[in-house]
Amino acid sequence: MYALTIANLKMMARNRQTTFWALFFPLVLVVVFGLFDFTATNSSKFAIIDAAETPASILLIDSFGELEARGLLDRQEQPPSLEEGRHLVASGDLDYLLSIPAEFGEAANFNGPTLMTPQNGSTDPTISPVPVTLIVGGEGEERNQLVIGAVRQGVQRTVGNASDALRPEGQASALPQDGATLDPVITERVAAATATYFEMVLLGLVAMGIMTHGTISIAVRISNYRNLSILKRMLVTPLSIWKFFAAEVTAQLLLAIVQAAVILAVGVFLFGAQINGNVLHMLPATILGSAVFLNLGFIISAWANTPAAASGMGNVVTLPMMCFAGTFFSTSALPWLLPYAADALPLAPMITALRDIGLRDATAWEVWPQLAWLAGWVAATALVAVRVFRFS
Amino acid sequence: MTAAIRVEGLAKRYGNFAAVDDVSFDVKAGEIFGILGPNGAGKTTTLEIIEGLQAPDSGQVTVLGKDIQRDANWIKARIGVQLQSSAYFAFLTLHEILTLLGSFYPRRVPPNELLEMVGLADRAKSRINQLSIGQSQRFTAAASLVNDPELVILDEPTTGLDPQARHNLWELIQAIHARNVTVVLTTHYMEEAELLCQRLAIMDRGRIVAIDSPSELINRIETTYTIKLESLQPLDDSQLKALGTSGNLNRTEFGPHAQPQRDNSYLLRLDKNPEALNRAINCIVGSGISLKHMEVRPATLEDVFLELTGNELRD
Repeated sequence: MYALTIANLKMMARNRQTTFWALFFPLVLVVVFGLFDFTATNSSKFAIIDAAETPASILLIDSFGELEARGLLDRQEQPPSLEEGRHLVASGDLDYLLSIPAEFGEAANFNGPTLMTPQNGSTDPTISPVPVTLIVGGEGEERNQLVIGAVRQGVQRTVGNASDALRPEGQASALPQDGATLDPVITERVAAATATYFEMVLLGLVAMGIMTHGTISIAVRISNYRNLSILKRMLVTPLSIWKFFAAEVTAQLLLAIVQAAVILAVGVFLFGAQINGNVLHMLPATILGSAVFLNLGFIISAWANTPAAASGMGNVVTLPMMCFAGTFFSTSALPWLLPYAADALPLAPMITALRDIGLRDATAWEVWPQLAWLAGWVAATALVAVRVFRFS
Repeated sequence: MTAAIRVEGLAKRYGNFAAVDDVSFDVKAGEIFGILGPNGAGKTTTLEIIEGLQAPDSGQVTVLGKDIQRDANWIKARIGVQLQSSAYFAFLTLHEILTLLGSFYPRRVPPNELLEMVGLADRAKSRINQLSIGQSQRFTAAASLVNDPELVILDEPTTGLDPQARHNLWELIQAIHARNVTVVLTTHYMEEAELLCQRLAIMDRGRIVAIDSPSELINRIETTYTIKLESLQPLDDSQLKALGTSGNLNRTEFGPHAQPQRDNSYLLRLDKNPEALNRAINCIVGSGISLKHMEVRPATLEDVFLELTGNELRD
């Protein structure tokens, strides 16, 4: 069996054209999706909790008008509380949340150097406004800097106006001019669980690649072997037939792992996708998923009379799954009962598991429902494959 | 001497079609045994049952003294098989294929030795699709020997080969036989069967119609000579009638469909009457047939086949 596995790998390596295109077709999609800058084209979701509702805070809010007008920010409803707002950021429903404290911009705050102490309890008598808090969940660093800058500017302008109006003639501006003292903007970064659309798609493509390669290439190989009587030739040797299949499956699984690694690597190193989770935890989902699709390939090869038919049937099986099972879009966008049907297909749990591990730093055992579902698919498809398989 | 293969009352049906119908024969150890028959006669099905690829509906088959159902793996380890249309992995070299196949067996012959034997030593690093048809047929024969078998089964080893490649393969089969290996082969080439096989079973429509050595089979039939003649004009009715009384003028060998330019060809089979040859020659001369070509040859296996089955043996 070892010899056969090695031989299989050799054959795959030498059949460069087929293997390459089948294996790395998803890479084309990775590049396509990687080249689009989804963060640049989408506006970031932004909300403000204005506890002050003073002229100063309104002025500050106004200062975002320009970013909104440029389509960079999309202002959302005000969350009921700061805590809930923070959750919204953490869950990815908001990219930025600006919290303006009640004391913000109260005219009295700027009367004298000692009227206001910094929140950290320091007794440094530096004049300082009550800082606003910006909770940042967005992934795009450029965008983050833009928004933070805008807030800082807005605060300085607002507070500057207020203090100028109140300051006695000739006195220096009350506002600290350098960053040596307290920043008027406290930025708080929330590790947002959400990943960019590209990262979602990337993991979808890993699963998709394993699916299409597993299903189609094994279906084509086996029906080709049958047409050439290679299967029969194996049967007249004392080789146990399970060893023959085990060797096929082992070689394909190894290839699936390489394929997943290459696709991930391209996404991460070439297009800057961030994979937070432990990649090794993706192995069970990769192997189980791959096994399901190999079984499907064996089943198809039993029905297809020619390798060309096998390829066509493989596409018929895999394409709808690719579209419906959430590679590119969320299954919840489907009407009626279809989301449930789509989630039941083997590709969906595989993608979910990979995304949970890759993007939400889940461990392999945390995605056990998906793995269990995949294992069920492995068992069911293996049963069917064994029943329908034919050698000639 | 024990039988290498013993087949008793073997039957295999596909729906209503009896592919193999109550077939019994023995193959003696050390002989070259041929199964001759047209396509669809049941040759391949019989072999596939012996090879363990198909289960019989009824009957019993023992190979090297063991039951094919009970001791399939024991048997598989000791026989070599060349399937009718078996290709090999396109992306492995000849040497790699032989190494791989050998790895399935407890006993194996080094790949280089096998390639040497079939004259492909210099092609060890080639792939199967880089070989000519003759070479790849020799290679598949070599592949059937990876386990140093006691018995090889070759299913139509020479089909599709040009005459020279066919002769090469005949020599190879004889070389295999010289290594004390029992050889079973199927063919639909009469001359091949006659030349190679020590004993021959003629199969038609799932049954064995005769089994003996080629010379005995020829001796047993009615036909002694066959006269093939070609006239300049088509024969008229009286000429045909005259010929018909002198022998068995059953048909033209080269029918209008096969070779229209030779549709004045006739075949006359003579029976065992000692006067038959004389009578036929006199008749041809006496009836004024303008001959273009005439050929008298002794009976062959083809005549045996025709007489036994009434069928022309064609591909």
